[in-house]
Amino acid sequence: MANGFFTDTSLCIGCKACEVACKQWNQLPDDGYHFTGMSYDNTLHLGASTWRHVSFIERPVALNGQDAGAFSWLMSSDVCKHCARAGCLENCPTGAIIRTEFGSVYVQPDICNGCGYCVAGCPFGVIDRSPDDGRAWKCTLCYDRQKDGMHPACAKACPTESIKFGEVEELKRVAKDRVEKLHQQGVTEAYLYGEDARSQPGTAGLNAFFLLLDRPEVYNLPPDPEVPTLKGSKSWISAGLAAIGVTALAFVSVVLGNRSEKESS
Amino acid sequence: MSEKLPALNAVDDGRNIDPRLGALLGEAAQQTPLATKHDTELHAKTFGNVPSRQSWTSPTYYDHPMLHQPVWVWSIPAYFYVGGVAGVGAMLGAAAQLVAPEAMQSLVIRSRWVAMVGGAMSSALLIYDLGRPERFLHMLRVFRVRSPMNMGSWILTGFSSAAGAAAILPFGPRLFRPLANVCGVVAGVLGLGLSGYTGVLLSQTAVPLWHRSYKITPLLFLASGTAAAASFFEFFPLNEREASAVQRFGLVGKIVELAATLALEANAGRVERVGRPLKQGFSGFLWNGAKVLTIASALLSLLPGKSRPKRVAEGILGSAASACLRFGIYYAGKASARDPRASFEQQRASVAESASVDVA
Repeated sequence: MANGFFTDTSLCIGCKACEVACKQWNQLPDDGYHFTGMSYDNTLHLGASTWRHVSFIERPVALNGQDAGAFSWLMSSDVCKHCARAGCLENCPTGAIIRTEFGSVYVQPDICNGCGYCVAGCPFGVIDRSPDDGRAWKCTLCYDRQKDGMHPACAKACPTESIKFGEVEELKRVAKDRVEKLHQQGVTEAYLYGEDARSQPGTAGLNAFFLLLDRPEVYNLPPDPEVPTLKGSKSWISAGLAAIGVTALAFVSVVLGNRSEKESS
Repeated sequence: MSEKLPALNAVDDGRNIDPRLGALLGEAAQQTPLATKHDTELHAKTFGNVPSRQSWTSPTYYDHPMLHQPVWVWSIPAYFYVGGVAGVGAMLGAAAQLVAPEAMQSLVIRSRWVAMVGGAMSSALLIYDLGRPERFLHMLRVFRVRSPMNMGSWILTGFSSAAGAAAILPFGPRLFRPLANVCGVVAGVLGLGLSGYTGVLLSQTAVPLWHRSYKITPLLFLASGTAAAASFFEFFPLNEREASAVQRFGLVGKIVELAATLALEANAGRVERVGRPLKQGFSGFLWNGAKVLTIASALLSLLPGKSRPKRVAEGILGSAASACLRFGIYYAGKASARDPRASFEQQRASVAESASVDVA
C-alpha cells in the first residue's frame, strides 16, 4: 500500500493555504522575505524550508472552454513527488533516506550527514541542503501525522480539494475520471503527469502526481525525468573497461621501460 | 507596533513560536534559519522579466532553475584530482612491484607513499564538504551498491588502509614484507576504483551535462588520473628505467584524456544548451585551458631527452591540465544545472530520439 497526493491544478486558486499549513505543522522557519516580481510567487521553488510551493503562471494564451481573451491563469501547488524509484533515496550513501511503511520517501534527520548527493540526484530539484548545518530536508508526506492516522496538513488545509490525499491506486481512478470530465467540459488540455510507470518510465511513476493544463516545462517540471541511477550499471561497466585499460597500460609501460633500458645499457 | 510583537520577535527563529506557549517538536524544528536564504542577485534578474510577455513558443517558469545546482564546494573537484593521482599512482606502483621490484624499487616505494598521503588527503577533503562532518562514519553504516557515493566510501576506506599498510609495513620485521606487497597490489586495484568511481558519481546525478556523459566520464576520469599520476611522478628523481615507464604511461594517459575530453564535448554539444558551459564562462575557460595544457604537456614528452627540468616542466603542465579538467567539468555541471532549458531540451531530444527508434 502506498499513500500519495493527487494535485489537480485545474482546481488550484493560488491561496497558498497549503504552504502555510505545511510551514505551521512542520515548524519550518521562514525563507526570508523577498519580492520576486514573478507574478504572485515569492517562494520560487521547493527547498529545505519550503515543502509546498504554489507556482503562478500568467499565460498569454486562452484556456479551452474559457472566454477571457488571450489570457489564462495557471496555478499549481508543487510538492515532493515521492517517486516509485526515487533519485535521492537511491543516491543516499548513508541510508538516511528511507521508504516508509506508507510508501513515502523520508529523510531521517538524525542519520543525514549532509553530503549533498541527494540534491544532485533529484530530477525535480526538490530536496535541498539547509544552509545552517547542511543536512537535507524535504516533504515527509507528513509522516508524523500519517502515523497517527491523519491526513497531511496541506491536503487538510486545501479549500478547493485541489490537493487530494489517499491511496495511490484510488487517487489514479479519481484522477482519470477528472481528466475525462474536464475533456467533456471542453478543457481538452488536461492530462495527468507522472501517474504511472507507463507515462513516466524514468521514475516508475510518482506517488504524488499532477493534473496539468500545459506542458510540464511551464510549471518548471521536467518533461521526461529520469532517476539518475537508471544508467548506473552502464556507467560502472564503462569504468571497469577503462580500469582494465589502465592496468594493461601500467604493465606495458613498466615492462617496456624495464626492457628499453636493458637494450641501451 | 503592538506590545506583544517585540516579545515574539525576540525569539526570532523565523517561526514566531513563543517557546513558553508552543513546543518545537515538528519535523523541521531542528532547522536554524539564516537571515538571507535566497540569492538576491537571482531575484534582481527575475524581477526584470515581465511574466505575461514571456515568449510562449518555448515557455519555462520565468527561466528560474528547475534543479538545485550541486551544493558541493571546491574540495570535491580537488578530491577528484588528488584521488586520481593517488589511485592510478598506486596501480603504476603495483605494476612496477610485480614486474621489476628491484630495478624500480624507488618508484614502488614512492607510489605507496603518494597513495597513503593522497588517500588521507582525499578523506579530509570529503569530510570537509559534509554538512555534519562528525557523522562521516555514517557513510559506512550501509553497503548500498546502487549509490556510487556509498561504493566510493568503501573503496576509499579499503584503498587508504591498503596503501597505508603497504607504505608502513616495510619498516617492520622482515616477516611483514610479503604482506606489504600484497597490500600494494590491493591498493593498486582499489586505486583504479577510486579514480574511476568519481566519474560514475558525477554521471549518476540529474545534472544534464554530467548525466548525459554517463559512459564517458569514468573513462575521462581514469585517463585524467593516469596523466595526473604520471605528471606527479615526474617531480621525483627517478632512475632511467622508471622515468621511461612513467613517461610512456603519462603520454598515453594524456592522449586518451584529450580524446575523452573531445568525445564528452561532442556528445554534450548535440544538445547545444547542455554543452554550452564547456564553451563559455569560467567553466569553459578551465575546460579549454585543460585541453591546451594537456596538448602542451604531451608535445613536451614527445621531445627527446629526459633531463630533470624537462621532466618537471612536463609534470607541471600535466598536473595543471588534470586539475583544470576536474574543476572545469565541476563548474560546467553546476552551470548546466542552473539552466532549466538545458534539462528541458535534453529530455525533449531524448524523447524524440527514442520515438524515432520506435518508428524505425
